[in-house]
Amino acid sequence: MSDNLKDKIAWMKSAKGITILGSIFLALFATINSGPYVLVNTIITGGMLALVSTGLTLMLGVLNIAMFAHGEFFMIGSLSAYYVFTPISNYTAMHPDSFLVTWGPMVAIFTSMVVGAIAGIIAEFLVFRPLRKRAAENWVMNSFLLTVGLSVLLVNLHQLIFGADFKGIVRYWGGMPFSFADVFISRDRVISFCLSAFIVFLFWAFMTYTRTGRAIRAVSQDATGAQIVGINIETIVLMTISLSCALAGVAGGSLLFMYPSYPTMGLEPLYMAWFVVILSGLGNILGAVAGAFMVALLKVVTVEYVGAGWDFVVPSILIMLILIFKPSGIFGSEVRGVLDT
Amino acid sequence: MLLEIKELDAGYGYLQILRKVSLNVDKGEYVCIVGPNGAGKSTTMKTIAGLISPMAGSITFNGEEITGLPAYQITQKGIAFVSEEMNLFVNMSVQENLLMGAYIIRDKNVQKERLEFVFDLFPRLAERKTQLAGTMSGGERKMLAIGRGMMSDPTLMLVDEPSFGLAPQLTASVFESLEVLRKTGVTIMLVEQNVTTTLSITDRGYVLENGKVGLEGKSSDLLNDAYVKKVFLGV
Repeated sequence: MSDNLKDKIAWMKSAKGITILGSIFLALFATINSGPYVLVNTIITGGMLALVSTGLTLMLGVLNIAMFAHGEFFMIGSLSAYYVFTPISNYTAMHPDSFLVTWGPMVAIFTSMVVGAIAGIIAEFLVFRPLRKRAAENWVMNSFLLTVGLSVLLVNLHQLIFGADFKGIVRYWGGMPFSFADVFISRDRVISFCLSAFIVFLFWAFMTYTRTGRAIRAVSQDATGAQIVGINIETIVLMTISLSCALAGVAGGSLLFMYPSYPTMGLEPLYMAWFVVILSGLGNILGAVAGAFMVALLKVVTVEYVGAGWDFVVPSILIMLILIFKPSGIFGSEVRGVLDT
Repeated sequence: MLLEIKELDAGYGYLQILRKVSLNVDKGEYVCIVGPNGAGKSTTMKTIAGLISPMAGSITFNGEEITGLPAYQITQKGIAFVSEEMNLFVNMSVQENLLMGAYIIRDKNVQKERLEFVFDLFPRLAERKTQLAGTMSGGERKMLAIGRGMMSDPTLMLVDEPSFGLAPQLTASVFESLEVLRKTGVTIMLVEQNVTTTLSITDRGYVLENGKVGLEGKSSDLLNDAYVKKVFLGV
C-alpha cells in the first residue's frame, strides 16, 4: 500500500504527472470561473487536433520523416470533401427526403479519407521512395527538405487548378444544435468530434492489436530488427504514409464546415500538430491524443483570458520551454530506441 | 549441403570488405567463423541474412539461390539472424518481442507452441515476459534475441558475436543456451572473436582474415594449428 502511494507521488512529481494534473486543474479552474463552454470547446478542438497529430506522430515515429506537408494533406482532404459535398447538397436542397441528407456528409468525409490515403501513396512513390533508393545518409534533413518542397508544390497546385478563393460549405448536417451543460454546440461539431474520436480509437486498436499494426510499431522501434523477423519494410512504409495522410485528409474533410478550403489552409493544423507532437514526444499515439487535448485547452484558455490573437503565441512559448528543458517531450519514452540516437 | 557460399564479394557502398569468400554449412552442423576485428565476419553474416546485397558471388540455401534477396524473404526461407546489436524492439515487452519473432508464422496455435518452446528453453524469459526489452540487462537481451530468432522455427541460425559486451559468466550461459538449441536440431553458424572457447565448442571452423578465408577445418584441428595459435592465441 505504501509502495503504491510512493509510486503515485513519484508519478505526480514526474513531468508527465505535473502536466496532466496541471492541465486538469487549469481545465477545472477555467470551467468554474468562466463556464462549462470552455471545457466543451476544449474537448471539441482537442478531438480535431488529435486526428492531425496522430498522423504526424506516425510519420515521425515510423519513418523518421519530419513531415511539413501534413497540412497540405489536410487541405487535399477538405478540397475533395468540398467537391463531393457540393453536388450532394445541391441535390438534397431539391430532394429534402433523400437519404443523402444524413449520409451525404459521411460520403464526403469518407472520400476525403480515401483521397488523402491515395495522395499519400502517390507522395511515397514520387518523392520518398526515390529518395530512399538514392541515399540513406542524411535522411532526416533530406526528407524534411523534400516535405517542405512538397508542401509548396501542393499549395501552388491548388491555387493553379482550383483558384485562391475560399471553397467552403455552410454546414454538413442541418437541424437544431445540441446542448450540453447550457452550451449550444452545432450538430456538425458534435458529429465531427464523435467521428474523430472513433477514428483515433480505431487507429489505436489497429496499432495495438493487429499484425500489421504491430509490424508498424516494430519498424518504428528498430528497422533492422523488423527486417530480421521477416517484415517487408517497403510495404510497411507505404502503409504508414497512406495511413498518416488518410488521417490528415479525414481531419480536413470533417472540418470543412469550419475551415473552408483554400491553398494555404494547411498551415494552422500543421503548426498545431507540431505543437502537439513536440509536447507529447515522438512516436507515441496515446501521448499525442493527450497532448492534443492539452494544446486545445491551452488555446481555449488563452483565447478566454488573454485574447483571441494570442492563441498561437502562448502555445509557442510553451513549446520553446519544452524544447529547452525536456526535449524528449512530456510523454517521451524512458527507453531509448535506435532512432533516438 | 544446407548453405553454400561461392566466391562472395560484399561491402558497404564503395568499400569492399569480403573478397571471394567461399564457405558451406551442412545440415545439423555447428560452424564458426573466427577472425580478428574488421576481417569481415559480421559482413558475411549480414550478407547471408540479406541486410547487405552482395557485389558478386552466390549464396544457395537448401538448393535454392537466395543471392540478393531482401532480408524479409530470407527469413521466410528459414534463416534466422541474431545480430551483434540484437536489434530488439525496446519499447515492447519480452513476450511481444518473441511474438514479433514469429511474424512469418500466421497460425496463432503454432505461434503459441513456439512461445512455449522458447520459454522452456529460457525459463528466465518466461519470468520476465511482461518486462520491456529495453529495460533488461545485457545477458537477458542476448537471450531474448536468440529466443526471438528461434520463434520463426529456423533451419539455420546465424549468431553474430553473442559474447560481445557481456561479462564472462554471462558469456558462458549464452554459449550454453546455443548448445541447447543445437540439441534441438538447429544448424548454427556462429561468429566470434573469442577464439579458444568458440573452437572448443563448435564442429568446424573458418578463419577469416582481411575479407578472405585463411584457414578452414575441424575446430579441434584449428585449435591446435600452429598459425592459429601464433596469431590468435599468442602462444
